[in-house]
Amino acid sequence: MQLGAFRKSVDEWLDSRGGVLAPAFEGAGTLDQKMAQIASVRRLAFDAGWARWGWPERVGGFGGSTLLRAYLSEAVTARDLVEPGLYSMPEVLSPSVITFARPELAAAMLPPLLRGDEVWCQGFSEPGTGSNLASLTCRAVRVTAGSGRDGWRVTGQKVWTSLSQYAQRCVLLTRTGPAESAHKGITALFVDMNTPGVTIRPIETMDGEQEFSELFFDDVFVPMERTLGAEGQGWALAMDMLPYERSTALWQRSAWLHRRLRELVTVAEPGAIDPAALGEVTELVYAFRARSRATVHRMAAGEQLGAETSIDKVLLATAEQALFDLVAEALPAEVTIGDDPQSERWRAEFLYSRAATIYGGTAEIQRNVIARRLLDLGNDH
Amino acid sequence: MIEGEDLELFRQSLRRATQRHTGAALDAALQDLGWQDALSADTRAAVSLLFELQGSANVISSGLDWVLGSVLGQEGQAVVLPVLGQWNAPGALGDGQLRVRGAGTAALGERETALIVARAGESHVTVEVGTASLARRAVGGIDPALGLAEVTGAVAGSRELGPADWRAAVALGQLALGHELLGASRRMLELAREHALGRIQFGRPISAFQAVRHRLAETLVAIEAADAMLDAAWLDRTPQTAGMAKAAAGRAARVTARHCQQVLAGIGFTAEHPLHRHVRRIMVLEQLLGAARSLTRELGAEILAGRRLPELLPL
Repeated sequence: MQLGAFRKSVDEWLDSRGGVLAPAFEGAGTLDQKMAQIASVRRLAFDAGWARWGWPERVGGFGGSTLLRAYLSEAVTARDLVEPGLYSMPEVLSPSVITFARPELAAAMLPPLLRGDEVWCQGFSEPGTGSNLASLTCRAVRVTAGSGRDGWRVTGQKVWTSLSQYAQRCVLLTRTGPAESAHKGITALFVDMNTPGVTIRPIETMDGEQEFSELFFDDVFVPMERTLGAEGQGWALAMDMLPYERSTALWQRSAWLHRRLRELVTVAEPGAIDPAALGEVTELVYAFRARSRATVHRMAAGEQLGAETSIDKVLLATAEQALFDLVAEALPAEVTIGDDPQSERWRAEFLYSRAATIYGGTAEIQRNVIARRLLDLGNDH
Repeated sequence: MIEGEDLELFRQSLRRATQRHTGAALDAALQDLGWQDALSADTRAAVSLLFELQGSANVISSGLDWVLGSVLGQEGQAVVLPVLGQWNAPGALGDGQLRVRGAGTAALGERETALIVARAGESHVTVEVGTASLARRAVGGIDPALGLAEVTGAVAGSRELGPADWRAAVALGQLALGHELLGASRRMLELAREHALGRIQFGRPISAFQAVRHRLAETLVAIEAADAMLDAAWLDRTPQTAGMAKAAAGRAARVTARHCQQVLAGIGFTAEHPLHRHVRRIMVLEQLLGAARSLTRELGAEILAGRRLPELLPL
């Protein structure tokens, strides 16, 4: 399947099924509503075949270029059918799971994810482990359980775990080496969230959602065959994941930013938007789009992506915050005092944009990566 | 299309030429290399390679005249540029007279004739004039090495060559200047990076200090954003995207100059270090065919007037 033909078919399908695909709620919607909507769009797109293109056949996909799935993400976000950040979760987690999991595990787990029947979450950060991921302490100890099955017993805590209350599975980084083993002693596990001993405490965020949680693991048994890669390969999996998090998982946000910018230009009162500020935001959105487009094309061409994707993340964060700063200036009543669904959506998205320089590696960490890896400036101490 | 090994060879030849020559000597070297033929065969490769290398080496050529001439169907002529900071046509036709107010590159001084695009009512025409009929004032200014001149004149009986697609000429000129700004920016970043790694204070290279590292990281982000915008402009070839790319390159050059000047500190403020030549050059290149600030404001005003955003570059 070529991109051009795929684009045409997907567009026709989306436009003809608009009524079925559209969200049932107005404005921002609750997190429950947004997650139900994403599941619905995924199921319809999977059953129609579109959501299977760009994924390997061995995990239930139809194969073809990763550009195909990038286009589908863009097409559904550009039509405001799904929230782009929540929707992109499989793009972040599954490529590395496909690479590191046993083939049978990946083949069993991917189809329900892509069809929207399941949700996964990412158990990386901990209370004492933010930017310095290699310092994590959630411990996994090898055991033979009562049934005689080999596995791990996990004890510890994770935090900022998005969508964990919806998730059936968790990609979990654990400490399996000695405490001082840093990145060498980390092992990745694929954990069922309904295992006894897993406790979820959602955290309410500034934008009024409970998008992420604290996760507690109290002597949780994880079978050995749920190890992702070999013992000690957790850091390799985390590093493998980062380029996806900053390429196919970011790409669709340019279409979403473009849509919001268009809506802003349409609804703002004449004179409410400063032309210079509008021009600058437009340029930032287009620059992010141009950069991200080149990145997803490089991935599709088989290039190994690396630290240069930190630039994509910086450009996204800059564009997103600049856009919603402009929204706050041009639609002050909506952002500050409006209580109708549209105002609530603008306000929620403004508040969410404040996190763009924090999530997925802070702006400072991205600049550290750029300095060390791209400019080759050596260590910073 | 120039591709693969041919492209790399072409790049290396242009690199040698821009490192050895400037001005008329560089023009002669470009002629030998077939750059002018490449300009029509593979405009993107010819323009992006030459102008980035020219910006990096801080040299001048009549490349911009060739670029504008190629859109106007008159390759090889000197072309009068708009007044600094503007992108409207430098000429106006009316009452049987051509009035000219613009800028000329170094090439203009060496030719007997020059092209001027002039407004004639609602449209544009290309006019050929004898350079003797124009008043030229050599510009010293912030960057005397650029060899610019202010050009004015009121010419009767000039030769009209036909309608001109001025917007397309400006767009291609903006891409060329964007690449030249990008080349200069990348060179300034190299200079600052080398300095940061070699300069020892408090017992370690200043590149170990996060304040320095983040300035240079910020610089690279600005440069790569401009690079991506230039790529996008070559793909969609709309005048609006070319303007955005020129604005991004101009802004990136200003950001680069500011951060690199700070990292290079005392030595970068001297006339002994090469940084100042790039700082001077980008200040003028920024103004040619529209500075970032005015292009950006114009883009915003156009969007508000039509309540319509430019198309997104498709995947």
